[in-house]
Amino acid sequence: MRSFLSFALLPALIACAHAGPDYHERLLLRPLPQDALLASFNFRSNETAAAYEQQNFGLFPRSLGQILQHAHTKELHLRFSVGRWDADSWGQRPWYGAREGSNGVELWAWIEAGSDDEAFARWLTLVNNLSGLFCASLNFIDATKTIRPVVSFDPEGDHADTSNLHLLHGILPHEVVCTENLTPFLKLLPCKGKAGISSLLDGHKLFDAAFQTMAIDVRPVCGTSGRQCVVEMEQTVDMVLDIARSKRPRDDPIPRPRPIEDIECDTSKSYNAPDTCYPLDKKTEPAWKLTDVFGKPLRGACPLTAAEGPESETLCINAPPERTIHVNTTGQYTESLSASDTLRCYKLPTGTELDLVLPEQRMTTGLVRGQPHLYAARSINGHGQERGSVQAVIRNPSPTDAVEFTYLESLPWFMKPYLHTLRAHVSASDEDPLKETYYRPAVDRIRGTHLELRLVIPPASTLILTYDFEKAILRYTEYPPDANRGFDAPPAVIRILGPFQSADRKGMYLRTTPLLLSLPTPDFSMPYNVIILTSTVMALGFGNIFNLLARRFVGADEVPAAGGLKGIIQAKIQSVRTRFGRA
Amino acid sequence: MASSGNEEQKQPPPETKQSLWLRRAVIASFWAVVAFLGLPVWYKTTAIYRADLPLQDMTAWANGQVCKPVFPLHIAVQAPLLAQDAHHLLHATQQTLDDLSDFPAHQLHLAFAEPPPPANASQQVTADGSGPADLDDTVALSVRLIPVETGVTPRSQLQPFSATLDVYYQLSQIPTQSSTSSPLTTFIAHELHQLYAQERVRLSSLYSDAASQSKSLSPELTAQLQRDATRAFKYAPTYHLTFSLFTPTSSPSAWDIETALRQYMNPILESFAGISNFTIDTQVQLYANFSPSIRQPEYDENTKAWTIFKEDVSGFINAAEWPLSPSIGQGPTINFALYVPDEVQSPLFVKGSRDNSWLVPQWGGVMILNAQSHETTLTKEALVPAMQVFSTQLSSLLGLPQTPASLPLRISTLTRIHATSLLFSASSTLGALAQVYQKMPTIPVPDTVAKSVNLSLAHLRQTCESLRDGRFQDALQNARTADGEAEKAFFERSMVGQVYFPDEHKVAVYLPLLGPVAVPLIMAALKEVKAGIAALKGR
Repeated sequence: MRSFLSFALLPALIACAHAGPDYHERLLLRPLPQDALLASFNFRSNETAAAYEQQNFGLFPRSLGQILQHAHTKELHLRFSVGRWDADSWGQRPWYGAREGSNGVELWAWIEAGSDDEAFARWLTLVNNLSGLFCASLNFIDATKTIRPVVSFDPEGDHADTSNLHLLHGILPHEVVCTENLTPFLKLLPCKGKAGISSLLDGHKLFDAAFQTMAIDVRPVCGTSGRQCVVEMEQTVDMVLDIARSKRPRDDPIPRPRPIEDIECDTSKSYNAPDTCYPLDKKTEPAWKLTDVFGKPLRGACPLTAAEGPESETLCINAPPERTIHVNTTGQYTESLSASDTLRCYKLPTGTELDLVLPEQRMTTGLVRGQPHLYAARSINGHGQERGSVQAVIRNPSPTDAVEFTYLESLPWFMKPYLHTLRAHVSASDEDPLKETYYRPAVDRIRGTHLELRLVIPPASTLILTYDFEKAILRYTEYPPDANRGFDAPPAVIRILGPFQSADRKGMYLRTTPLLLSLPTPDFSMPYNVIILTSTVMALGFGNIFNLLARRFVGADEVPAAGGLKGIIQAKIQSVRTRFGRA
Repeated sequence: MASSGNEEQKQPPPETKQSLWLRRAVIASFWAVVAFLGLPVWYKTTAIYRADLPLQDMTAWANGQVCKPVFPLHIAVQAPLLAQDAHHLLHATQQTLDDLSDFPAHQLHLAFAEPPPPANASQQVTADGSGPADLDDTVALSVRLIPVETGVTPRSQLQPFSATLDVYYQLSQIPTQSSTSSPLTTFIAHELHQLYAQERVRLSSLYSDAASQSKSLSPELTAQLQRDATRAFKYAPTYHLTFSLFTPTSSPSAWDIETALRQYMNPILESFAGISNFTIDTQVQLYANFSPSIRQPEYDENTKAWTIFKEDVSGFINAAEWPLSPSIGQGPTINFALYVPDEVQSPLFVKGSRDNSWLVPQWGGVMILNAQSHETTLTKEALVPAMQVFSTQLSSLLGLPQTPASLPLRISTLTRIHATSLLFSASSTLGALAQVYQKMPTIPVPDTVAKSVNLSLAHLRQTCESLRDGRFQDALQNARTADGEAEKAFFERSMVGQVYFPDEHKVAVYLPLLGPVAVPLIMAALKEVKAGIAALKGR
């Protein structure tokens, strides 16, 4: 018997009535194939709209709140991501990809402004301030990296007046996300990593993960009945840890082979010998415990979370019912089972540490992984330094449903697509999958390309999207210091429009990996060489012409006796010679 | 070597006059191109735009040659006296005052004001602190002479919430026409002199030249003023107030700050409204320990309290972890930190005293609140001591003088001090800008700088006039604009860039071209000049 639990349960569990200022957090642990472990942290805090407007910050962090008010930002989505979600083996993305960002930093926000120019000015204020707050190079999101998506994003919050809200979107694919971004992220939490599930977050483990994404989402939420509005901030961290890798002690991180006695060998191999061994796959779930995997103990519950009810259960693990889980703590805790016993949630003790210990176990049942609605891969084809082409392969695994989705590309200005070469081709059918196109061409050094497509992909088929592009030649000063590494092109953002719908307004997304674009790079000593060469040529030419015009030409035998510099030097040489001759 | 043996050398045929002149013309035309085309183009393309600045004026202001600020304070005297008697009283008092004066710029001018209708004399002062309505706003203080029969006379009482000094006297103390002084006039004069003692000291210290330093000033008072001055923030048109609640545990996690601020902080902010604007924000920070670099609190058996060392107070603020970043927008942020210690370390005091609050100069104030009950929400009542401490700290952080007892008087003193200091600061900024302009010929000066400078100068002139006329509020407004414009001109961003491209750099880039071109030109010209001189001599 195989039991199934999709991630759709999680938002449903967390969603609740918004009343006043409150705080929720939850950690969901989910073992993935190949000894990986997905840890989904979710922190959500509320502040009443009135208190937020008056700058009386309680659970909402003041530093972020002031920035948002200063930049007139009504809704904010900020993502820091590293790594790639391996959909083939890990299945459906956490939160259906709604809390995931593209590699590097991604930011989009709804900004209140009277005009486009004003909105852009406020956007610049926003990115500059956020850059300082999160120690990230967000200030490099300028006009060339900013687009205004049309169909790919919808506001998640309740906005009274959407007519003067402007959506701006920027991606920094080259940004290296690291510990310095986690520290300010943790500081925004009310319990600051000192208590609650956030005490497990550690920079060494988080940025060592195979995939990790940190998200901050701020939106206004209004109750269905009254005018009671709150400003909600949601912070999310999703990470996929390799259990074996993260269990390595920090002071001795080099993996070492186990002694041969401990390894079960495949004796059927011809080369099997006392000193040669092909290890057998043990087919068991690995043993792990929280302190090993996260490198830190879980320091009890954050006292701000609810004391009772499902909200108080802040640690959940999604494992088959037969999986043995020992709870190691001195304090009071409760355990509850739900979703046909595949979800075990724990109410943490306050003030004392808690550890989950999972022994090594041979399993007879497993969890069914939710299947992604789409698979996407994108690559650059072609050769040479002048042209190239982009190919995106999007696969619909569903045997019955055609999937409608949008495909958003935000390309840098120096990667100039030829829109007439855009082809969307489905292997199985002749129908054109391309339904709508939104295109805003790039302007050199002023703005990048914004390409948004609405496509439909029939069931069980693969869509191949290709277009050619031209590589621009940059000015000498526009190259980064590591120009030969190449330039990053942001990932494509795919939003699934139908027939699948997420339970809330978050939407369902997936993102491709970023592209590395190699542009023709000059020799950087070139300007000086050019100066010297042209100067020499010009000086030669000038000297010749000038001498032709200004010199008097006489016969070779009529040249006056050596005078001037030549004569002086000859006299010197003569005197030196005579002196040496004497000596 | 070849020529050494050859004694007889063939001479080239003499040059024709035509070819000689042709050669000269060629060289001259090359030089003409260089001089009339090359150099102007070079000059034009590398020239830096420098707007004209009124350097003379700017330096004059910086040296204090244009305006010596004076502070004529108009004091209205209300007395139930006949006009003649009153005039005489005023005259005598004025004379005594002038004799007492040790700082000539600060002048007190007495004027007789019509006594208000006696029926409601006692209710004249309205609760909101505004003075009698018929007095125009140039009046700095009104003195009410009230005849009484009993008690020690003359005696005076200063109204704490209005600029009014009540002087009680007996009718017999009115100076007669013949006498030049009486106990009453001397008393009033001394009272007034005393009232403005601190203001005079602070204003004269702004003048900074030793000559005008008050001799009557005791060293303690000077030290006190010095301390006050280092504590206070530099004047800004807007201050951001940040009230933060820190606790090392998870409680209290909320506070009734909104109502507490409305009740205890808004009145004092309203009285400062004429000087600066304020924005307020608050935050609650849990799990916020004080700095780990200081020693842990110790339990004191005698006082049954936990104590931190006085030396550690300066390191109490945990700047690394407490999110006390300045607020966004113009103007400095004043921080007020309320620290609620852990229940097991409560009550917490500074060692050697029962003090639990202190002021961090030019940063803000800190208070340790030893809460009576350990509820999760701090009520308004529990916040009352904190609000009182914070409002006192705010006054000294804003540089409000500690005397006299009347708040409107102190605020008007602060207005004059700020107007004067802004006047001096704007002048010295302009002076510095003039120096930069003269000393660094390579920096570009855009027109906006000139505009700002002119605006600043105009406002400085108006400030000076307003001060002379006793319109101190106007003076502050003008001085504020003047200072803002002066700062804007000085910190103009485009003036910085060019400094990093020195002339040597340009020469290095152009030398490969200019060197080879210049050498034949110069050599040819020299040779021709030499030949010309030789030809002239030979003739």
